[in-house]
Order: sequence, then structure tokens, then C-alpha cells
Amino acid sequence: MAARIRQPGFYRAGVWMVGAVAFSFFLTWVVRTSTGHSTFRHFISGDAILTVALIAVPLAFLIGIGGFDYWFYWAAGRPTRPEDHSGHGAYTWKDYFRINTDHKVIGIQYTVNSFIFLLVGGLLAMLMRAQLAQPGSHFVDANTFNGLFSVHASILIFLFIIPVFAGLGNFVIPLMIGAPDMAFPRLNALSFWLLPVAGLMMLGSFFAPGGSFADGWTAYAPLSTNAPIGQTFFSVAVQFAGASSVMTALNFLVTIITMRAPGMSFFRMPLLVWANFATSLLVVIATPFIAASQFFVLLDRALGFNFFNAGHGGDVLMYQHVFWFYSHPAVYIMMLPGFGIISEVIAVKARKPIFGYRMMAFSLLAIVGLGFTVWAHHMFTSGMANWIRIPMAITTSIIAVPTGIKIFSWLATLYRGVLHLDTPMLFTLGFLTTFTLGGISGVMLAMIPFDIHVSSSYFIVAHIHYVLFGGSLMTIFAGVYYWFPKMTGRMFDERLGKWHFWTTFVFLNLTFGPMHILGLQGMPRRVSTYASQFADMNLFISIASFGLGLSVLIFLYNIVTSWRGGPRATANPYRAMTLEWHVSSPPPVFNFDRVPTVVGGPYEYGVPGAQHGIFTPTPTPMGASAGVHATSGET
Amino acid sequence: MEAASIAHAHGHEEHHGPPPAHKSSRVEPQLLGMLLFIISEVMIFGAFFTAYFFIRVAQGDPWPATGTKLPVDVAGVNTAILVSSSFTIHWAQTSIKNGNRFGLKAGMLTTFLLGATFLFVQINEYANIGFAPQDGAQETIFYSLTGLHGAHVFIGLCLLLFVTVRAFRGHYSPEEHRGVEVPGIYWHFVDVMWLVVYSTVYIL
Repeated sequence: MAARIRQPGFYRAGVWMVGAVAFSFFLTWVVRTSTGHSTFRHFISGDAILTVALIAVPLAFLIGIGGFDYWFYWAAGRPTRPEDHSGHGAYTWKDYFRINTDHKVIGIQYTVNSFIFLLVGGLLAMLMRAQLAQPGSHFVDANTFNGLFSVHASILIFLFIIPVFAGLGNFVIPLMIGAPDMAFPRLNALSFWLLPVAGLMMLGSFFAPGGSFADGWTAYAPLSTNAPIGQTFFSVAVQFAGASSVMTALNFLVTIITMRAPGMSFFRMPLLVWANFATSLLVVIATPFIAASQFFVLLDRALGFNFFNAGHGGDVLMYQHVFWFYSHPAVYIMMLPGFGIISEVIAVKARKPIFGYRMMAFSLLAIVGLGFTVWAHHMFTSGMANWIRIPMAITTSIIAVPTGIKIFSWLATLYRGVLHLDTPMLFTLGFLTTFTLGGISGVMLAMIPFDIHVSSSYFIVAHIHYVLFGGSLMTIFAGVYYWFPKMTGRMFDERLGKWHFWTTFVFLNLTFGPMHILGLQGMPRRVSTYASQFADMNLFISIASFGLGLSVLIFLYNIVTSWRGGPRATANPYRAMTLEWHVSSPPPVFNFDRVPTVVGGPYEYGVPGAQHGIFTPTPTPMGASAGVHATSGET
Repeated sequence: MEAASIAHAHGHEEHHGPPPAHKSSRVEPQLLGMLLFIISEVMIFGAFFTAYFFIRVAQGDPWPATGTKLPVDVAGVNTAILVSSSFTIHWAQTSIKNGNRFGLKAGMLTTFLLGATFLFVQINEYANIGFAPQDGAQETIFYSLTGLHGAHVFIGLCLLLFVTVRAFRGHYSPEEHRGVEVPGIYWHFVDVMWLVVYSTVYIL
């Protein structure tokens, strides 16, 4: 037992967390007695203790589980330990529940963790739709409803879409660029373990006194500075999720810049790598702004600062500027990796070189640049200076151009291609449809008068779900199906996959399509009830949304049964050229026994004699490089 | 689940790690990581300066708040202390590159002491400045910007302390001195950021 408490792991984490709770009481007591709150009644300030504990307990958990062990060792001035790769690879299921430095294990940890939060977030949406099935229904009360949609959005944004892309990237990027691992494996491990912490904290807010945070995922001040303690759960959880994002982004950037295989110039990188490169730039530059916005809220709430206290000269509009300066780039953080996935799938499944490879890469960088110039289009009705709307409307319209270039290039890739309509490709085509619809309503919203008209209505809800569900989630499904054989070594069930696609696609449009009409008719968003004239359509949406929820169960069943007992996958089931398909499925523990050499572009499908990566012909004792030469000369 | 682990594990028991990754850039990964992290750090200061901008420029509130006074001279001396620490850490780095261990140890120790002095003066300033962040928006911004910088000085001091301890224990050599180099970059960033904070908050 004593050894268990000394070894990194959940036992030690438990001990540290108990210690952190004690520390929170102690710190609160010391500070409050030294600042004049001498009586016992003042000492028992639940909010103060909870605020300190929300920061201290997760840190204690991370220390206990061993996330900082190496760095503590370094900080203490001891000789650094040479890397013995003991934290590498997964040999039993238990290896997924410890600090693991293998990017493939971390990728699976990330992805599975994210999908658990997808189920939770989806369940919250089902509860909301149950409430909204009829006007005035009392399934939940108004405050709980506000909490439901706030946690729904926060969980799905910070704990599903952003990390699941990081997870897929984690698994695939080092393989794609021919690297043995990420540049900073220990940082990578730490960045994963921040996520469950953040997610449980957001969900835990439901049990806080006064209920969960209930002012949306935007947490506008001064609503958030005056809300019950549940709001603090959001502010702190966002710090942990944001730190995780920044760590992963730094890791991606350094890996992509310094660890590419010989011959892989920037313009021979697969577009998924380009997409994650662009996304990581956005994360590194933008994420500090949401961290700062939540620092402001925390300081206002906990220490009585006056950032947003108008009575003392604070400025509430500043919150929205700082928040959206992150959160608009964040919508591209939630979309660009998906663009990368679509580029991979479309080239392989249409058996054609991607159309306009360089323009695809440049349009990603254009989106990164333009993404920082449009934030105030979320604030057209906020009461900011009127003139700011005009440049923002113009840049918002312009940013549709690089996205349009991508859509055009994908369509041109499809044109006269030999389409393999399996599950990843169906999701890709579905994405092209729904995301274009969502993009068009986005351009409509860039028009100032129209935006003012529909800003607080269900039209916004329809738009956001067409781009995030019909956009991001479709690409995530495409990516998970596409790399499922590589990640697990098993093939998924194609028939169930098709069922999953068609149920998702149909119910997605039935759920979110009518919301456009509701919005134009004037039904306000963020409310737990509505006027009776909207009743029929809301009942219809609720029923469709339950169908949408059930469609996810098909996916789950498919993934779980295929992972347990699906047919074994070959190294390269899709006859793809990118490097991750040149190693066995699943890849060996150190990816490549020899570093491959890149001799051509990644998408030369149908080009006679074209090769992307080759292994130099020195003899190898391992059989891990099966399928190396399978890529040459195919059509 | 074992399907997701390593199918080839049996053949790899004797395998001692991967082949070294190809270096596709001349930049050291640690150095590049630190530079990118500093971009993030600049942005978080940017967010705090946005708050400053909104209070002081967009709202046009008096700066410093009516009835308060900022100790420009004391902070100026403090600025000189912090800036000189940038030179001493450069001395330490140059020394270890030339194999001068005394220069490394003396340089690191001097840098650490200068940084600690800066932090001490800063805390002393808070104690004697005569207003609190709870008083109003300008006071909040003053404490936030200088406090955010102070937090970075603290982190930098921790890094310097680790490096100093290791220097005294005989680590680092003319061939391998990244451990001095990378924290040094962070320390330079902390210095430069103070110049920005000092000139906007105290002087302008």
C-alpha cells in the first residue's frame, strides 16, 4: 500500500487531492483571519474555500498521477534521467489510465475521452429538447434549463470538438510526417490529463450551491461576475482546457517544424498536417485571450476587482471584446482540422490528386490571418460603437472566400473521380452539403441589418449547429471511421456505418433545418418556453432530435463491437499514400523502424509511378514495414 | 482493447527505442517551443493591455485615478535593476559557452538576486502605494498589469533558481548548455515585457 502511495497513479493522486482540500481550508483561514475576518462564521466561507479548492485539487491530482514527476526531478537539481521509454506504448487496458508518453496511446485517450463527453453533452441536449417539446412544459425549471444549455455548449466545445481533433492529430501527425513521436512526449501526456479534470469540473457545477453556471458558454459579464458559485467552475475549467489546448498546439508546431522525415518539405506535407499547423497557430495566439477573460471574471468574483463593475468605472463591453477575440478564432480551431480530414478522405476515396494543393494550404493560412479580424461580428447588437460594425461585416464576408476556395477544390477533386462511397466518404459528402448550408447562413449573418433582426433568435442556433454538427462533427465521424483501422487494427462494420450516416444526415437536417424558419418567425433563443404558435414545429424538432440522439448509439455499437471483434485490418486497407498507412495497423510502438524518405507529393493517386514515401533499401530485421511499396503505380 | 496496443510487441522486446527522428529544422525543439510559448505569453499580456486600453483610452478615465500617485522614480530604479539582470544572465551564458564555470555560477546567482530584489521592491510598492484593486477600475488595472508581470517574474525566478542550483552542482558544459539558454530567453522576455508595462502604466 505504501508503495502504491509513492508510485505515480490514482492512489497517490487521491492522497494529494485530500491534501489539497485541507490546503484550501488552511489558506482560506489564514487569509481571512489576516484580513480581519476573525470570527468562525466568516472563516466558513464556502465560496472562498471552493474557489481555492477548484484550483488546488486538480493540480494535486495531476501531481499525484505523475504529470510533473520528471520536471520536479529536474527542478530539484538531480541528474536528468535518460529516456528509457518506460512510459511508452500500451500493453494492457490499464496503460490507458496512467501517464503515457506514447502519442498513439495519448491519441486514443484523447479521442475516447472526447466521445464520452460527446455522449454527456448530447444527453444534455436531449433533456433540453424534452423541455422544449411543448410550450410551458415543466420538465425542468428555467434556471436548470439555462444551466443545461450552458453546460451543453461548454462541454461540447471545450471537451469534445477541440480535443477530439487534437486527439486524432496526436495519433496521426507523427505517423504522417515520419516521426517516432511528438517533440515533447511528457508535455503531451500532461495535456491529456488536464481534459478529464476540466470536463468533470464543468459537470460538477450542477452540484454546486445555486446550480450550474447558467449564462451560456459565453459567460458575459456582469452576468457571470454576479452569478452563484457554479460560475467559478466554468472559469477555472476553461483555464485547464485552455492550458491543454496551448500545450498540444506548441507540441504540434514544434513536431511539424523540427521532426519531418527527410524529403518532406512543407509542400509535401499532407493537408491534415497543414490544417493542424494552422490550427495550432490559432490556438497559440488566441487562447490566452479566453484565459485572460476568465482571469478577469475570477478576480472580480473572488477578490472584488473592478474589471466589470460599472459602478467603479469598469467596462462590461471589454469582456465581450476579449472573449470574442479568442472565441471567433476558436470556431476555426473547431473547423480547420476537419478541413484537413476531409482533404485526406476525399483524395483517397476519389482516387485523384487533390485539386489545388497549394491553394488549399494557403487558404488555411488566410483563414488564420483573417480569423483575427472578425471578432466583433458577434457583437453587432451589443451597443459598441456603430462604426466598428462596418469593417467587421466586410472582413466577415471576405473570410468566406478562403473557405469557398476549399469547397471549390474539394468539388473539383470529386469531379470525374472514381468515388468509393464507403462510410468515411459518405460523411465527407454529407459534410460538404451541410457545411455549405451553414456557411451560407453565416454570410447572411455578416449582413448587419439581417444580423440585428435575427441575433437573439433560433436562426443563430440553426447556424451554429449546421457548422458545428453538420460541419465539425461530420468531419470527426469521417476521420474516426477513416483512421479506425489504423488506430485499433480492426475494420469497422460498413453496413452499420452507412446506417449511422444516413440516420445522422436525415435527422440532423430535420432537427436543425426548421430552426431557421423558427428564428425568422421570431422565436427567441436561450429560453425554456415559448409562445404557443411555435408549438408544432418545436414538437417536430424534439422528435427529430431524439432520432439524432439514437443515431449516435449505432455509431457506439459499431465502434465497440468492431474494436472487440472486427476483422483484422491490413496495413493499408484504402490503398492510401500518406505515411501512416506504410506501417502495420496498429503501428509498432516506435512507429518506424527506419525513418522513411519522402520523394513526392502525398496525393498522387492515379499518377503512374508516383510515390510519396519510400524506405531506403537497407535490410531490416523487423516486419513492421509491410505495405511499404504498395502505393506505387495504382489508379 | 489489446488490439489497440502493439501487435508487434513480442518482436520488439529487445528494441531499445526508436531510430532518432530526422531533424528537419536547424532550430532546437526546446528553443522553438519556448519562442512559441512566449507568443502565447505576449498575447496574455495583450489581453490585459486590452483591459487597460478600454479603461484609459476608450472610456477616457483619468490615469492614475484622481487622488492617487504612482511611484515613478522607485519603479524606475527597479526597472534598472531588472534590465541589468538581463545583462548578467547573458554573462552567465557567454561564460558557459567558453567553459568558464565561475562566470556561469556568479552570473546566475547575480541574476537571481537582482530578480528577487525586483520582486521584493514591487511587493513593497504594493504595501505602500495607498490604494487597493477594490477601489476602482484604474486601480484594478494597475494591480492586474503589474501583478501579471510579477507572476511572470516569479515563474522566471523559479527557473533561474533551478538553473543556479544545477550550475553549482556542476551541470552544463560548453557543448550542452541548452538548460541555461532556454530559461534565459524567458528571462529576457520578462525584462522586455516590464519595459512595456513600465512605460505604459507609469510613464505615459
